[in-house]
Amino acid sequence: MNTHTIELMTRDGHQLRFNCADDQNLLAAAASAHIVLPAQCGYGNCGTCYADVTQGDYTLGKHNPAALSAEDAQKGGTLLCCTFPQSDLHIALPFDQDRILIGTIKNRCADIIGIETVGENTLRLALCLVEDEEGNQLAEFEPGQFMELNVPGQDIKRAYSLSNIANWEGRLEFLIRLQPDGLFSTWLKEQAAVGQRLQVQGPKGAFGLQESGLRPRWFVAGGTGLAPMLSMLRRMAEFQEPHPARLYFGVNRAEELFCQAELKALQLELPQLQVVYCVWKPEDDWTGFRGTPVDALEKDLNEMMVKPDIYLCGPPRLIDAAETIARALGVPIHQILSERFLPT
Amino acid sequence: MFCYQCEQTDRSNIESGCATAKGMCGKDATTSDLQDLLIHAIEGIAQYAKRARALNVPNNAADEFILYGMFTTLTNVNFNATRFSTLLQEAATIRDQVKQSYMKAALAAGQIPEELTGSAVWQPAEDLEGLLKQAATVGINAGIEMVGPDIIGLRSLVLYGLKGVCAYAHHAYVLGKESATVYAGIEDALDFLSTAPTDAEALLNRSMALGTLNLEVMALLDDANTGSFGAQQPTQVLITPTLGKAILISGHDLGDLATLLEQTKDSGVNIYTHGEMLPAHAYPKLKAYPHLVGNYGGAWQDQQKEFAEFPGPILMTSNCIIEPLSQYRQRIFTAGPVGWPGVRHISDKNFAPLIQAAKALPGFKTNVSEKTITIGFGRDAVMGVADKVIDAVKSGAIKHFFLVGGCDGAASGRNYYTDFAEQAPQDTVVMTLGCAKYRFNQHDFGDIGGIPRLLDLGQCNDSYSAIKIATALAGAFECDVNELPLSLIISWFEQKAAAVLLTLLALGIRNIRLGPTLPAFLTPNLVQVLVDKFGLLPNTTAQADIEASLARIAA
Repeated sequence: MNTHTIELMTRDGHQLRFNCADDQNLLAAAASAHIVLPAQCGYGNCGTCYADVTQGDYTLGKHNPAALSAEDAQKGGTLLCCTFPQSDLHIALPFDQDRILIGTIKNRCADIIGIETVGENTLRLALCLVEDEEGNQLAEFEPGQFMELNVPGQDIKRAYSLSNIANWEGRLEFLIRLQPDGLFSTWLKEQAAVGQRLQVQGPKGAFGLQESGLRPRWFVAGGTGLAPMLSMLRRMAEFQEPHPARLYFGVNRAEELFCQAELKALQLELPQLQVVYCVWKPEDDWTGFRGTPVDALEKDLNEMMVKPDIYLCGPPRLIDAAETIARALGVPIHQILSERFLPT
Repeated sequence: MFCYQCEQTDRSNIESGCATAKGMCGKDATTSDLQDLLIHAIEGIAQYAKRARALNVPNNAADEFILYGMFTTLTNVNFNATRFSTLLQEAATIRDQVKQSYMKAALAAGQIPEELTGSAVWQPAEDLEGLLKQAATVGINAGIEMVGPDIIGLRSLVLYGLKGVCAYAHHAYVLGKESATVYAGIEDALDFLSTAPTDAEALLNRSMALGTLNLEVMALLDDANTGSFGAQQPTQVLITPTLGKAILISGHDLGDLATLLEQTKDSGVNIYTHGEMLPAHAYPKLKAYPHLVGNYGGAWQDQQKEFAEFPGPILMTSNCIIEPLSQYRQRIFTAGPVGWPGVRHISDKNFAPLIQAAKALPGFKTNVSEKTITIGFGRDAVMGVADKVIDAVKSGAIKHFFLVGGCDGAASGRNYYTDFAEQAPQDTVVMTLGCAKYRFNQHDFGDIGGIPRLLDLGQCNDSYSAIKIATALAGAFECDVNELPLSLIISWFEQKAAAVLLTLLALGIRNIRLGPTLPAFLTPNLVQVLVDKFGLLPNTTAQADIEASLARIAA
């Protein structure tokens, strides 16, 4: 067995180093060196731990092609959880240093304080963190990050994006689409109740706002892909960030729309925010945009001289389509940031 | 980007300076370039402000913007590209307002308004890419191929000194002190820089004039501090934690501290000072608050470790922030000119979110045995025992004074100051100021006939105290400051120190030892000028420099 030196370079130019044996995956080796990188599933399925190998040889284990396309893999793209080094490696991480935790990811307990239906088949789940042994109660996370929720005593674990912002009350909010026959969905519908205690792990994930002067920020969300967008927009409102902002929020049918009241309230705090509701299969009386958020994005991008930063969250097909359109219309790749919802 | 304004600038290449995607301080290229453009925009405001002032229509709001804007570009102050994009738009609006009032006043006075060029006619581009294109032509290095590095170095000396002057003037301003003479001096210097001066003599004279102006600013600041909070008194400060919820406040802004103390009164939350906030404990009106419990940690360069370990929120005022780590990014707040992307900024002095955070965080949960240090030897405290000090010098009990201080940094070679202070002979007194003191302020120096051997004069902002003490001693001994048994061992890091250095040089103080390394913007030719004219000395080793100082070996 050989051990190799792995050198990571973050998007903002910070270097980190750790050792990895050739039978160990990079994500696990980094964690043993107390470098916790954004990741979720740990077996090549979700795509959260995407990075680019810029130098060195490695083998890439079994993975979901929706999380890493053959084309990206060909160009050195990899998933750290299923990458095994064959030599020293240099790796470029597509996020800033602030998304790397030095230490271990926290496991916390949280009590359910609210379950509310906000749209057809969509719930808002609100949790409140229980004080940890050091007396901490604050909910610390960056907008765009997610948490893993675990029902004690049952083998049910799911990752959901946070829809609120970091706060001092320990409050965590999630928007959850109920999946027919989904384990967590069934538990939510049939057993979950206010006062019940869950285990939460996180925050995790590299998706989030990037600093780029006053460049416009466009957010494209499919369904509950709205959650991280809400978090980012709420952060912009809290910090009174002046960037021009647009949200394209897409669903299949108008009945599936949710959070309109929250978005209206956000527009009062963030007057520059434009919200475009997109309904793919609307009834005749729908007066908003008819089509997918990608259609709306294409139409508006065509008219823009200054190409915005584009944030994408939702099902992989939506993200792929939006990326393709944005690239074709001249948006540089570093201005496209995405979070894919893949089934786990 | 190209930036070489601070001591830690990249010196790994033949041409010193940070010129890659990110500077040594953590400032990215976009922010650095936007800062260059903001200086350009501010010069444009000053071009009109100077002329408007000459016609008796001064615009103090514009000067306030100039102070604030210049301060945001100092090292370790504001890293937020978005903030600079906004400031650039504001700068253009303010420039247009000042221009309007100038034109009106000129016409009213029967004059034809001057047609100004350069910075005065700059218009901000609509988007970031456009702004960056504009920035590419106005950085400190612009025109170097025409005028050569010496002229660029002299312009840098003027610009960086001026940044320090503006920062100190802003400190005074936030405590309610401003001066028309100071504003006029700042406008004049910026107007001078806007002409892209090429005359070395004129540039050097201008830097000395700025040194003189800075003395006035330091006096204004001293008045602002003592006027608001009383004169510093010798005080024992706790440097170990106390049980309970806690807030840590760093940077230099005593006004922000006073507001925070008032807002946390009776809240059960203890306030700790960090870095340059330490001297706050010596001011009567601040130490009157019982919940200002102590000092935590050391100088600014240790903040990443110390803030991560502090069990409460942190407020970073005025300057000296470095990249907040993820461990404390959600519980650090900035105020005043400070900024970091993704970090909460409190612009209205309402510290409620900070207090809320303190209550949600654990605070200190265990008791440790108490340790203290003594601070508070501002000029009043020292002058109060002047007779004793003068007698001790006359009797030979005190052989020499060293002023060892300034701003600290992370670079190796800074142990020089620890060694210097600790190895200074027992019959010498070490005065200190700035955050370089943390390198030795827990060492037991003892006393000479009741006079402590280590006298902490305060923040770098209290350099005025040092100058007043030196002048008073010279008066008592009826000699020139250069003839006193006094050596200045100055550590510099950023542009406030550049302003103080210019003040000392303008006062004719010779033989200052400046380290740990000389500024990268001073070319060998310029260093030679400073050595010839002012006897400026680079550091060698602590022991050799102590011996040379005691032997009064002068350049």
